[in-house]
Amino acid sequence: MVSLADSPTATAPKKRLRTGGTLNRILMVLLLTVVTIWLVVPFTMAVLWSLVDPETGWNYPDLLPPSLTVLRWVEVWTTTALPQAIANSYMLAPTVAVVTLLLASPTAYCFARYDFPGKGLAQVATLLPLVVPGFVLAIFFSSLIFSLGIYSRFLSILMAHCVLFLPYAIRIMTVSFGQVRQDLIDAARDLGASPFAVFRAAYMPALLPGILASLIIVFIQSIEEFAIAFIVGAPNFTTIPSILYSYLGYNFIRPNAAVVSLILVVPNVLLMLGLERLLKSANPAQMGGKG
Amino acid sequence: MTALRSIDVSKVFEDGFTALSGINLSVEPGEFVTLLGPSGCGKTTLLKIFAGFYAPTTGRIEQNGADVTNAPPEKRDTAMCFQSYALFPHLSVAENVEFGPKQNKVPKDDRVKRVNELLRQVDLEANRDKLPNKLSGGQQQRVALTRALAMRPSVVLFDEPLSNLDAKLREQVRREIRSLQREFGFTAIYVTHDQSEALAMSDRVVVMNGGKVEQIGDPEEVYQRPETAFVADFIGSANLLPFERVDDHTVDTPLGRFTVDDPPVADSRFLCWRPEAADYGVSEGENVVASDISERAYQGAYTDVHIAVPGAPDQRLHWPGSASSMSDRVTFRLPPDRIRFVRGELG
Amino acid sequence: MTWRRTLLIVALLTPGLGVILVMIGSVFYVAVMQSFGYYNLVGEDSFSLEHWQKVLDSKQFSRALSYSAYIAVVAAIGSVILAYPIAIWLRRPFRGSLVISALLKAPLFVPGLVASFLFLNVIAFHGIVNQLLMWIGATDAPIRLQNDRGAWGVVFLQLWKNLPFALLLLTGAVQSISDEVLDAARDLGAGSFDRFRKVIAPLTVQAMQASLIIIFIGAAGDFAFQVTAGPTNVQSMAQYMVFLKDSFGRWNQAAVVGVSLMGLALFGSLVLAVLARVVLRGGARW
Repeated sequence: MVSLADSPTATAPKKRLRTGGTLNRILMVLLLTVVTIWLVVPFTMAVLWSLVDPETGWNYPDLLPPSLTVLRWVEVWTTTALPQAIANSYMLAPTVAVVTLLLASPTAYCFARYDFPGKGLAQVATLLPLVVPGFVLAIFFSSLIFSLGIYSRFLSILMAHCVLFLPYAIRIMTVSFGQVRQDLIDAARDLGASPFAVFRAAYMPALLPGILASLIIVFIQSIEEFAIAFIVGAPNFTTIPSILYSYLGYNFIRPNAAVVSLILVVPNVLLMLGLERLLKSANPAQMGGKG
Repeated sequence: MTALRSIDVSKVFEDGFTALSGINLSVEPGEFVTLLGPSGCGKTTLLKIFAGFYAPTTGRIEQNGADVTNAPPEKRDTAMCFQSYALFPHLSVAENVEFGPKQNKVPKDDRVKRVNELLRQVDLEANRDKLPNKLSGGQQQRVALTRALAMRPSVVLFDEPLSNLDAKLREQVRREIRSLQREFGFTAIYVTHDQSEALAMSDRVVVMNGGKVEQIGDPEEVYQRPETAFVADFIGSANLLPFERVDDHTVDTPLGRFTVDDPPVADSRFLCWRPEAADYGVSEGENVVASDISERAYQGAYTDVHIAVPGAPDQRLHWPGSASSMSDRVTFRLPPDRIRFVRGELG
Repeated sequence: MTWRRTLLIVALLTPGLGVILVMIGSVFYVAVMQSFGYYNLVGEDSFSLEHWQKVLDSKQFSRALSYSAYIAVVAAIGSVILAYPIAIWLRRPFRGSLVISALLKAPLFVPGLVASFLFLNVIAFHGIVNQLLMWIGATDAPIRLQNDRGAWGVVFLQLWKNLPFALLLLTGAVQSISDEVLDAARDLGAGSFDRFRKVIAPLTVQAMQASLIIIFIGAAGDFAFQVTAGPTNVQSMAQYMVFLKDSFGRWNQAAVVGVSLMGLALFGSLVLAVLARVVLRGGARW
């Protein structure tokens, strides 16, 4: 599985930080150029396209749009189903995040704190949702819920998303439960703590970063998820990716697609940055002891 | 011809840290030389410069008279034994040993023969197909040494090879290394911070501190005739006293007036004597000291006795008897031939 | 193990692992059964090989299968090949290395559809790439880069999206090799290529296999990139499956394609994984 933060590279004090030689500096410049093309150019163009003035347009051979306006944003907001899609997505994603966390925690607790025959196999089996192609899952899941007679689109997508993102939550929470230190639990009990107090003193500090990480990751994934939201939700229940798809597919409206793309990606990037911060900040449960 | 030689070598890392300055060292073929010093003294940096992992900032490295300063490690006739053993975890014992000869394009028959012979010599035949993590620490250490020897290097470089072993095993492996070295006749440069290891193994000891060489000499020399306060203090324990010169063979110290054989020189800073150098119970004649005991600690073979004299803190001596047979006062004599003068500062 | 303990473990596993097994199992079951004529939304259920026959006989299917396999292989191998040198370069931290690795990994967090859109802007007929090409005189007229027949657009998008993933896994694996082990290889005469082939690659083979498998499966089942940037004369498996379902509700045939796609994902990723191991470890010991 993927660890989200870079694994900390332990360098013994003896070894000295490698600083750029000439070759390294050339590589750096080269790479920064590539990254500019890789990220900066595409995103700048998306922003520009979302601000194109419909009056003047942005036509060849203008290098930049002749005039910029937020009219598109207003127009997309007032004339399309985007507000509804945003409401849907932002209602669905937090629900998915919480339910997934609740479903994942017992299994993660079990993986972290019990040994039993077949544990390795069980852990691999939790990865199943990641290896089934998304559209296969989406189509036959929709087929399944038809046969079961479930008609709530929200509920159907909720179910599918939970299963799809359980592997992430289970993995993250397994690591978190593994960081709960037995000596702290023992100490709390030895000092006469109630089960709730034990939880607060010994479990909570170790679990909190994992809980937040799991919520954020599942939230982001759910917002972005397209296959299930599109196949199961269509045509009544639209999410942000479905709207984006409608502007990218057969009837390609570039400025609208630009607006929706930015609405979809910007909050996620901000959340990811927050998550990175969170994972980097000192985790009190990891300090001291054997660590 | 010298096997390995560093000429005026210094190393400044890119962050400005000066690890070595002005190192001149010549190692004779077949010699066992130890680089001894506390961590951060530059001994491992020097070893890595000999191996080719670092290029010196200034100065040159010569091997058998040829300049190898800019040769990368893969092109040098040196083999290294790493502190962590650095065995390839995905290769068996035999494959680890075969790695070097294979890289050097030794024909297959020769290679196999060489590997088999070596494994027999170090008693690892039974483990030849095991992966390194299935072996004990001592066995892993032996594989690492065998892997280095399979290169038939003229110089073997050891980077604190025993620091991950427990005390008993350490002594055994130490003897093994020394006997293999005599048998194969390779030149050895051995980095350690353990002074007893250095004294026990080496033909010559290079004591280093702060990126500089403090003293080079055979084990007896560096122990009995330290030249600097650092060497005296780092190897074994030493009593250092400030002194005032009266004439060439007489000095005044807080412990009294002493007659000495070797006269102090211009840059001598301290008078130095070893705790076990004193003749106990002698109360007549020159160089006799009588003092109150401030502290005593029973050590089994001797009793560590601290004496308190104003102006001379931390003077100690090894009383050969048991603690209970002592009174609160001690009298001893320092023979003139066992008194040294050292330069340098107190660490 | 006492029965109480067993019961406890089963109870703990049920909401997580249990739900996964039941859901994925039933989806798989429905897909397979539908491909054989069961679970029809309209009409009678009956066993039939007709759907398999129809699909397997169609030229569209074989084209879609080989196209998806092609894209998946190129995406998986290409990402890993590009990621390895960068991972090795970033093995030891240096000034700026964290920034670089963060920037390189950014596409991980850009949803596929957004990636498509960003990319389309850049390579559009009058997009920046074409303008640049014309400006430097490489071409007189804009080149058709979007929906090109060679599927270069899709390949580029796959690499853009998957390279960071391979980089994430490989950086972790490469960083876990100790400096001394690499120094030892050098000391024993291994140059940089030999160090890669004989030490780094064998020691990171698991991370590489994981990258290959996950990227292969994702690319084989791709829909978004193909629909927006892919060639119009061929469909990907997922696209073909959705097309069958949407046009006249040919669910059973869609099921055949779906099951085949799962087969492709499983088979292809296993072949790649085994291949990686055999190539990197010489097949001798492992």
